[in-house]
Amino acid sequence: MSEREDDAVEALLRARFEGPVPDEGFCDDVMHRLPLRRRRHVWPLAVGLGTGAAVCWLSLQSVPLVRVGWRDWLSGEFSAPALTLLLVMAGISLLTLAWTIAEADDRRSDPRP
Amino acid sequence: MARVLLADDRRAFEQLLRRYQGLVRAQLRRLLKGDHARADDLAQETFLLAWRKLDQFRGDARFSTWLHRIAYTCFLQARRKPSWPLDHCGGETGEQTAAPHAMDLHLDIESAMQRLSAAEQTVLLHCVQLGMSHSETSYVLAMPLGTVKTHAAQGKAKLRALLADWQDTGRKEQTS
Repeated sequence: MSEREDDAVEALLRARFEGPVPDEGFCDDVMHRLPLRRRRHVWPLAVGLGTGAAVCWLSLQSVPLVRVGWRDWLSGEFSAPALTLLLVMAGISLLTLAWTIAEADDRRSDPRP
Repeated sequence: MARVLLADDRRAFEQLLRRYQGLVRAQLRRLLKGDHARADDLAQETFLLAWRKLDQFRGDARFSTWLHRIAYTCFLQARRKPSWPLDHCGGETGEQTAAPHAMDLHLDIESAMQRLSAAEQTVLLHCVQLGMSHSETSYVLAMPLGTVKTHAAQGKAKLRALLADWQDTGRKEQTS
C-alpha cells in the first residue's frame, strides 16, 4: 500500500472518530466516589522484622548447637555446628528469595496495571 | 502527577481526570460499540482503579497511555463475565452484511470496519483514531509490537480494498 493511500484511509478513520466525550457531570460523579487512599507505611514491616529477628535470636541463644556454631563461626573455625548454622541461614535466605520472586511475579502478571 | 503521588492531592487528581476522561470514555465507547452507559461505568471503574493504584505508576509510559491500558483491561475483564451481552463480544456483527454499494463514505468506512477482525479494529482504534504510536498501542493492548504493526497494516489494506471495491460498484451503478 502506498503511503498516500495509507494516509487517505487514516484520514477517513480519523474523520469517523467522534473525539473526546464531553464531561456532562462524569468527573463530579467520579470525584464523589473517590475513596480515601490508604498510605503504605514501611515502619510496621521494619518493626516486625526487627522484633522477629530479636525474639528468634533470644530463643535460640540457649540452644548449645547455635551457641557453639556461632562462636566457631566468629573465630573462623568451620566446625559441624558452624556449618549447620550456615546451611540453615542459607536455606532460610533461599526460601525468602523464592517467596519474594513469586510475589513479584504474581504482581507483574496481574492484568491490571 | 507528582503532586497527586506525593501529597495524595484529590484536586490534582481531579485535574488529571478532567483532562483525560474524554478520550478514555471515547476509547471505551468504541470498544463497546456505542453502549454509552456501560462504557461510562467502565470509565468510572478505570479512574477509581487509577486512583487506588497511583503508586504503581512508574512513569515508563505517558499517564494517558497508562489510563488507556487500565481502561482496556477493565473492558477485557468485564467481557469475561457471564453477564456480558453477546452483541459486545467483538469481531463480526450484523453490520457485516450491510449493503456494499452504500454511497455515503462515512457509512462505508463504518461497514468496512465491521468486516475487520476484532484485533484489527482494536489496533486501528488505538493507532489511528486515538492517535497512539505503535509502541503505545502495544503497551495498552499488552500485545507484541510486531503483532500491532501487522494488524495495523492488514487492517488498513483490507479497508482500502473494501472501499475501492464499493466505490467501483457505486460508479458502475451510477453509469448504468
